Amino acid sequence: MLKIKNLKKYFGGLKAVDDCSFEVEKGKITALIGPNGSGKTTVFNLISGILKTKSGKIIFDGNEITNKEISEISNFGISRLFQQARLFNNLTVNENLSIALNKEDTKFLKNLSLKSNLCNEEKEHINKISKLVGIDEFKNKLARNLSYGQKRLVEIARAILNPHKLLMLDEPVAGVNPKLKKEIAQLLLNLKKKGETIFLIEHDMNFTLKIADHVIVMDEGKIIAEGNPKKIKDNPKVLEAYLGD
Amino acid sequence: MIEAYLIHLLILIGIYLILAISLQLTIGYTGLLNLGHIAFFAIGAYTSALLALNGVPFLICFLLAGIFAMFFGFLLSVPTNKLKGDYLALATLAFTFVVYSITLNWTGLTRGPLGLPGIPKPSLFGLSFSSNFSFLILTLIVILVSYLIIRRLVGSPFGKVLEAIRDDELATKVLGKNTFKMKSYALATSAFFAGIAGSLYAHYITFIDPSSFTLLQLIPILVIVIVGGLASLKGTIVATFVLVLLPESLRFIGFPSSMVGPMRQIIYALILILILIYKPKGFYGKVELE
Amino acid sequence: MVFTQLLINGLIAGAIYALVASGFSLIYATSKFIHFAHGVTIAFSSYILYFLFAVVGLNFGFSVIFAIIFASVLGLLMNLLVFKQLRKRKTSGVILLIASFALLILLESLILLLFGAEVKTVGYIKVAGGLEVLGAIITPLQIFIVISSFVLLGLLFLFMKKTKIGKAMRAVSDNKDVAEIVGISSEKIYNWAFIIGSAIAGIAGILVGLEQSLDPTMGTSLMIKGFTGAIIGGIGSVPGAILGSFLLGFVENFGIWFLPSGYKDAIAFVLLFIFLLFRSKGILGIKREVEK
Repeated sequence: MLKIKNLKKYFGGLKAVDDCSFEVEKGKITALIGPNGSGKTTVFNLISGILKTKSGKIIFDGNEITNKEISEISNFGISRLFQQARLFNNLTVNENLSIALNKEDTKFLKNLSLKSNLCNEEKEHINKISKLVGIDEFKNKLARNLSYGQKRLVEIARAILNPHKLLMLDEPVAGVNPKLKKEIAQLLLNLKKKGETIFLIEHDMNFTLKIADHVIVMDEGKIIAEGNPKKIKDNPKVLEAYLGD
Repeated sequence: MIEAYLIHLLILIGIYLILAISLQLTIGYTGLLNLGHIAFFAIGAYTSALLALNGVPFLICFLLAGIFAMFFGFLLSVPTNKLKGDYLALATLAFTFVVYSITLNWTGLTRGPLGLPGIPKPSLFGLSFSSNFSFLILTLIVILVSYLIIRRLVGSPFGKVLEAIRDDELATKVLGKNTFKMKSYALATSAFFAGIAGSLYAHYITFIDPSSFTLLQLIPILVIVIVGGLASLKGTIVATFVLVLLPESLRFIGFPSSMVGPMRQIIYALILILILIYKPKGFYGKVELE
Repeated sequence: MVFTQLLINGLIAGAIYALVASGFSLIYATSKFIHFAHGVTIAFSSYILYFLFAVVGLNFGFSVIFAIIFASVLGLLMNLLVFKQLRKRKTSGVILLIASFALLILLESLILLLFGAEVKTVGYIKVAGGLEVLGAIITPLQIFIVISSFVLLGLLFLFMKKTKIGKAMRAVSDNKDVAEIVGISSEKIYNWAFIIGSAIAGIAGILVGLEQSLDPTMGTSLMIKGFTGAIIGGIGSVPGAILGSFLLGFVENFGIWFLPSGYKDAIAFVLLFIFLLFRSKGILGIKREVEK
């Protein structure tokens, strides 16, 4: 579904992403792990279009998306979750979610003539996902008034509601309490069962190894190992990368 | 006597109101600190005046004033798309200065500091709006339509996306929205209304010159938008009334006319500073200026 | 010769803009916001000089010194009473900009109220004949302005490079958090930036007040020029601001060779606009934060 070929991103002398190539398979959960500063978020930012590169190719669902506009890439079907909370703080949870789903809200005239509101089907879909993720009870709260964990869940729901073929989640459970972590892990597995493709970055090794089908390990901009979680756990190179940090 | 004065005040309030709610659209809802709003006001005023002085019927002058200003609003959105916060404020401010400079120096078109006198009072469909009272009615109609349009826009999903851009533009892009287009629409719409406000102003005062369109004229509008509360149309309306009427009371306390002008500005500036320090959400706003 | 006259006019204008821009840049580099009201500090200095010397009749030297001190204190007060309070709420540069803008309007209106709108002159230097230099005319006062400007800027440069406070300022300008870890109090540095920056503005006010006449909005126009110079040269870089200001002085004066003289200010605005859009880093400026 997602093919990365010889991707490079240098910041002056720093080789943040140094000739990486890998694939993300459809219908599976792929995890990108590695010590701090190994280039994982940079890879994500390159895929999302937030960073540009002069070297390498990113191919999604058969289309080359390297260096395209951020909103364009999203419309190709990539839905992205950020490491830091990026909710629309002055809007309610429901409004945050509706924006993700509504495809008519950027049309000026349509909105003036009140033809752009979500239809009942779409509203039902939002309710469904809200319940699935567990945020239904605070639908009308302003996003800025939520707790950290609740915000994270809303962001995940928003990412799911954004029409997509691939979910890219950057540290979905960072800073989240253990109970919620378990819930999110189960949520992701449920999504996979429904046929979703998930690509995630995580630092929590337990979390990752429990739910991932395929693990890619990065260190200092390069890919040092790839394989199923069991193989990666016992890989000496991986241990070294983490411990030697 | 009193009645004439009140009507005059209401008309002024009306014009300020249109300027304020259109500025609220860009600052409060979209998060664009557009300090160039007065430039659109000026463009509208001069367009309308020049056309009217050349015999063009009022309605066309009025609409073209808005459209012409809207065009510049759109133009301004292009180079300022990537600018953030304070830099955007400065670039739009610079735009105000450039427009001011042009009105002052392009004497062939604008007669420079001499200004344009004798702008005809409006006449629509055979009805003449030469009395102040009838002008007030005209203003009220324009306000009503403007308010309804802007309110509908900000209440719609489009408005929510504008607010999303204000809160986090990157996250909005990542959800597939073309934020450049949205910001252009916001600026253009805002400029349109500033333009028609300019037309009203020109045809009311019947004389315009560059000095009516400087940074100083922006202050009351900016203060109204912030004090009323960002992203609150209700707050904007209340603040317009309060902030226009408050300095008028100075006249009655016995301050000489020459002092009222600077005292007005001092009051506005003080209120703005106090609000920013102690009540940054303004009175009805839900959003803090960030 | 027209060319040399334009060159000299450019030099004089640049010298004044450089003084304005350097003080302003010092404040921006440390406090990281655009202090619009810097312009009114200049205006106040001129008006205090006028008031003490031309109205009250005090000794000229004393008037000058007092005016400069007044300007410095005014800047410091603006920081302590307004900007510091806003910083407590962790506000962004945008809010500080708006607050500074409000202060500009407040103080300018105050000047208007206290002194009236009619143009004033300090009248210390009688209209002197100009000296001829390389085919152009320059008055002794103008020569003094250029020389003082260079001297002051040189002193500022030494101050930033050699003194403890100067180095601390550069540290805070580079990275406030790291500077604080090392024990530098950023609030104290902001105070110093305002004290010194406003003092320089005060001196600029004196020089401008002697060379030109006074009006309540004189600060704003100078501020815009100085600010444009700072943007051209690179905001946040004091040497850049100086470089940019001289460039502006030259471009402005050569520009009106081709355009009607009323457009002189417009040249500055257009340059400002262009640099804000295309080279907002300026020529020597510090890097702006990358879009997150």
